[in-house]
Amino acid sequence: MKTTKEQFPTKLSLVLFFLRGSKALFFAGILFSMAVAFLDMVNPKIIQYTVDYLIGDSESVMPFYMQMLINLTGGKDYLKGHIFVIALIVVLIALVCAAFRYLNKLFNSMAAEKLICRMRDILFEHICHLPFSWHGENHTGDIIQRCTSDVETIKVFLSEQLTALFRIVIMIGLGIYFMFQIDLKLSLLSAAFIPIIVLYSLFFHNKIGSAFEHADVEEGKLSAIAQENLTGVRVVRAFGREKFERERFEAKNKDYTKMWINLMRLLAAFWTSNDMISGMQGMTMLVMGSIFCVNGSITVGELIAFVSYNAMISWPVRVLGRVISEMSKAGVSIDRLRYIMNSEVEKDKEGAIEPPLDKDIEFKDVSFSYNNGQAEILKDVSFTVKAGETVGVLGGTGSGKSTLMYLLDRLYNLPEDGGSITIGGVDIRDMKMDYLRENIGLVLQEPFLFSRTLYENIGITNKSAGIEDIRKAARMASLDETIKSFDDGYDTFVGERGVTLSGGQKQRTAIAQMLVSEPPIMVFDDSLSAVDTETDAKIRAALDMHVGRATTIIISHRITTLMHADHIIVLSHGKVAEEGTHEELLAKSGLYRRIYDIQIQGGGEDIA
Amino acid sequence: MPNSKTSKDKKYVKLPWFGIPRLMPFLKPYLPKMAMMIFLGSMVSMVDSFIPLFNRYALNNFIAKGTTKGIGYFALIYATVLIVKLVMDFISANTCGEIEMSIDRDLRNAAFNHLQELSFSYFNQNNVGYIHARVMSDTGKIGVMCAWRLMDIVWNGSYILFVLIVMLAVNVRLAMYILMLIPIAIVLVIYFQRHLIILNRHIRELNSTITGNFNEGITGAKAIKTLVIEDRIQNDFRKDTENYRKNAVHATHFSAMFSASVTMLSSCALALVLWRGGKITMEGVMEIGTLSIFLSYALGILEPIQNIIVTISDLIAVQVNVERLTRLLGTESDVADSPEVIEKYGDTFNPKKENWEELIGDVEFKDVSFHYPDGKEYVLEHFNLKVPQGTNVAIVGETGAGKSTLVNLVCRFFEPTSGEVLIDGRNAKERSQLWLHSNIGYVLQTPHLFSGSVRENLKYGNPDATDDKIWDALKLVSADKIVERMDNGLDSDVGEGGDMLSTGEKQLLSFARAILADPRILVLDEATSSIDTVTEKAIQDAISVVIKGRTSFMIAHRLSTVVDADVILVVKDGKIIERGTHKELMKNVGGYYHQLFSRQFEEMEAKAI
Repeated sequence: MKTTKEQFPTKLSLVLFFLRGSKALFFAGILFSMAVAFLDMVNPKIIQYTVDYLIGDSESVMPFYMQMLINLTGGKDYLKGHIFVIALIVVLIALVCAAFRYLNKLFNSMAAEKLICRMRDILFEHICHLPFSWHGENHTGDIIQRCTSDVETIKVFLSEQLTALFRIVIMIGLGIYFMFQIDLKLSLLSAAFIPIIVLYSLFFHNKIGSAFEHADVEEGKLSAIAQENLTGVRVVRAFGREKFERERFEAKNKDYTKMWINLMRLLAAFWTSNDMISGMQGMTMLVMGSIFCVNGSITVGELIAFVSYNAMISWPVRVLGRVISEMSKAGVSIDRLRYIMNSEVEKDKEGAIEPPLDKDIEFKDVSFSYNNGQAEILKDVSFTVKAGETVGVLGGTGSGKSTLMYLLDRLYNLPEDGGSITIGGVDIRDMKMDYLRENIGLVLQEPFLFSRTLYENIGITNKSAGIEDIRKAARMASLDETIKSFDDGYDTFVGERGVTLSGGQKQRTAIAQMLVSEPPIMVFDDSLSAVDTETDAKIRAALDMHVGRATTIIISHRITTLMHADHIIVLSHGKVAEEGTHEELLAKSGLYRRIYDIQIQGGGEDIA
Repeated sequence: MPNSKTSKDKKYVKLPWFGIPRLMPFLKPYLPKMAMMIFLGSMVSMVDSFIPLFNRYALNNFIAKGTTKGIGYFALIYATVLIVKLVMDFISANTCGEIEMSIDRDLRNAAFNHLQELSFSYFNQNNVGYIHARVMSDTGKIGVMCAWRLMDIVWNGSYILFVLIVMLAVNVRLAMYILMLIPIAIVLVIYFQRHLIILNRHIRELNSTITGNFNEGITGAKAIKTLVIEDRIQNDFRKDTENYRKNAVHATHFSAMFSASVTMLSSCALALVLWRGGKITMEGVMEIGTLSIFLSYALGILEPIQNIIVTISDLIAVQVNVERLTRLLGTESDVADSPEVIEKYGDTFNPKKENWEELIGDVEFKDVSFHYPDGKEYVLEHFNLKVPQGTNVAIVGETGAGKSTLVNLVCRFFEPTSGEVLIDGRNAKERSQLWLHSNIGYVLQTPHLFSGSVRENLKYGNPDATDDKIWDALKLVSADKIVERMDNGLDSDVGEGGDMLSTGEKQLLSFARAILADPRILVLDEATSSIDTVTEKAIQDAISVVIKGRTSFMIAHRLSTVVDADVILVVKDGKIIERGTHKELMKNVGGYYHQLFSRQFEEMEAKAI
């Protein structure tokens, strides 16, 4: 499936897009649900005629289909003697009805699952292809919520609420039709209750909706207190603040509980009062029906049938208000997904090329800020990384060193007026994005491991990599020994549901992962920070030995990590403050020298 | 420290009486309310089951006799019954909600409070997500079980009971026909319910896999893009959603069969009543009104049966939650104050500060041996170390070598397996944990801030700190500029877990927090590892000011930071292999410390010269 570049100007356009491939199934489901509603309405009719014509002795006219049915089954007199035939008909109808009911649910579910599957796939793929800046601007929790609960809301809206609405409307419609056939006045009386019940419920559900949202927010807060207490357990203990934490939690818990109790009181009041209104309606129908029956306007069978119809539509009527009010929430969810789907995905320029990348990398007057108007992170940064060279970048927090690498990997696109980054003279903005990224092995400062085995994690970029390739990469990253010490070795499951690796182990895994694909350009974005100096040195030595050809950029604030580089750039507040070799920079007694002195200080007197 | 692993729970748990005895202490305060709820609930069901009798009365007394005499009274009684039912219904439902939320609240408090006193071994063995679910979700499920599920059983059970009574009272023969169908219904419901539970559990698991995938795809966006593995990740995702779809449709096939067969059975009941009842009514043996109530009961009795069985299967499912939660509540802390200590110094929540001695800061390890509760290998054996007040102890060694162990013992997060840790010359166990902790300042490897304002966070260790003092502390660690840059100064929100700040900023703030607490003992756990050199220099200057006069333990990454320490402990493979001052250790040429240190500086020197 290719990621869509369609835009969705309206809610409906997005819903229709999601519904592609499941519309016919939904339609089939609705058809069967109508058939079920109709067959359900037949039973009271049968009871009515049984009571009036077979048990009683009414001679009034019957509709032709009833007459036909009676003639078909052997005529009135035969039926009087063989009442079990009626029972058989009831069972027969029930059988057909059960089959329809089954088909209705099955088709509906097939449609619903196809829909949710498509929605999830589309969203996931779209999100994967959204630019990284989009991910920076949006909160992870919020996006996940859109992809899970909003997707669920829309599924429920289309597959449950909308179909329920169809069914309810049809049931009420048919019920009223049959009731009107029995007696007009009585039916009008019964129908008069419908708007009251529906409006009452609609009013209530709209009102309580915001209370529920409020309760959700409060629950989130309570949950966050518990979460923070647990993740910060060391801080809580070390400061001896258990009592404070307890009081805070209990206070919030109390408020939360109180709010829910009040909310439940409202719900109880609504449901029980609504129940009573329905009960009153039933009573009114019985009393009036009895009076009509005594007057002779309707027969006993008709009364029984009428009361049954009235009972049958009572539940749908009561649910109608809730369904309508819940349906209105779906609109919000659709808009929340529309926001994701209308965000533009990354795309290559027309005629993007794939030039060789084992060439000089040139940063020329690179200026960049994350948000328009915000302070520039990088200001006119220019330097060249010669092919095959190792360049070190030193800089403090917020000096823009990581940003520089994100720009090189096009995680952020350098604006047209922000200078240029070229490889072998070709502007990276004119290259195919995937090609560029595949050839730049960027090891992140905070590596991300996927919940798979270590083997799969290391080989994730290269499906054809065998165990030997992976072990080779792991050895270079000083990781092989560590992995072998795990019970399951390379099959150790990492990530959320597996073993938790230390920061250094994660970083080394990310390095191994990058080495497997042997890219011509390697970037270490402070990716040895959590590794101790000894291992750091080992890894660098291994890299020097094996991948001498690759152009390498190492970012660090550890002098020992950088000093062997062919060339060192010192970044300060988004500008190149100094550059040169280690010796040249030491001689300059600038920022580099100062940092060097700080890092070496203390040891100096003993060694020098 | 050993890697923490997710605790695995058994999927099925069987407890006697659905685990209710274990929950008794929590139910006790609500037993009277529960009794009232049960009584009123069954009364409501009784009214519901008697309503068809009104139909019968109307058919037999007005219609059959052709008179409307007394129909006014009839309506009045009917309406009164409905109103009485409304009142009972409301009270019982309202009480039910109250009971649910109250039990829920009490359980949450109990779990949360118990966690405040559990020792660290528990937190090392169980991950945060797991523990969090015990506090927030198990409690909720148990609350629902004790209130609404109970109410469901009362409602449906008494409805069935009263309907049976009425049917048997009205016509035994016809009642027997319906009774015959009940066992069939029960077998049918149990059969389907069993399958559905398994299918639905599987579907929930698949669903959480998909949520996990979303999570991975979004939090790992940077990694996915830099590795260019979008296609691979998408393919795996599509396999999962497709698998989910297939399973979900299969489950619906089952539940659709289920509801179709139950309604089919209802129709059979109806047919049976129509056939047998119709016949005896025709023969004049039974009145038409009686036939009509049997018709309503035939249609109405199967649903409550289905409800009860579904409720029971819910109860079975909740037992896992009961077991997990009561296990948490029953877990005893490895580190606990003795009754005598509590008597004198108070417990965690009710400290008797008036009895607290001042902590001076002499720490001594006396013949301490230690292994972690979940490990067997000793990481300390007969370890002795005197740390007089004001001493600065540095602990160095490779990542994962076990540098935190000593600090864990000083803080009494763990207790020695044998031997003792002395604080001011007395065994640490002789004073309360809170006394010790109130005198310790701690800066973590991964700084942890709480959501709230900067001020709230900084005052965490010292609730009485004034703004002036806060600013002093901030200046000391050169974090004052960070706060000044923020929109609302000290009132700025730090976000959930402090995520509005960078790691370096968080570290500086957590440093200021520790200083504000003005502790006698300061613990710095690799605090300076992710701050750039210039900032780090500023912090180190601050540290040397702050640790003056305090006993301090510093776990350090970079050797340059430990040179001035009074004692350096060198840790390898979890054990302390060398100790001494920097000068002493450097004399041991070829020793581990010498190796570590030289490597770092040789590299620089080689280049510098």
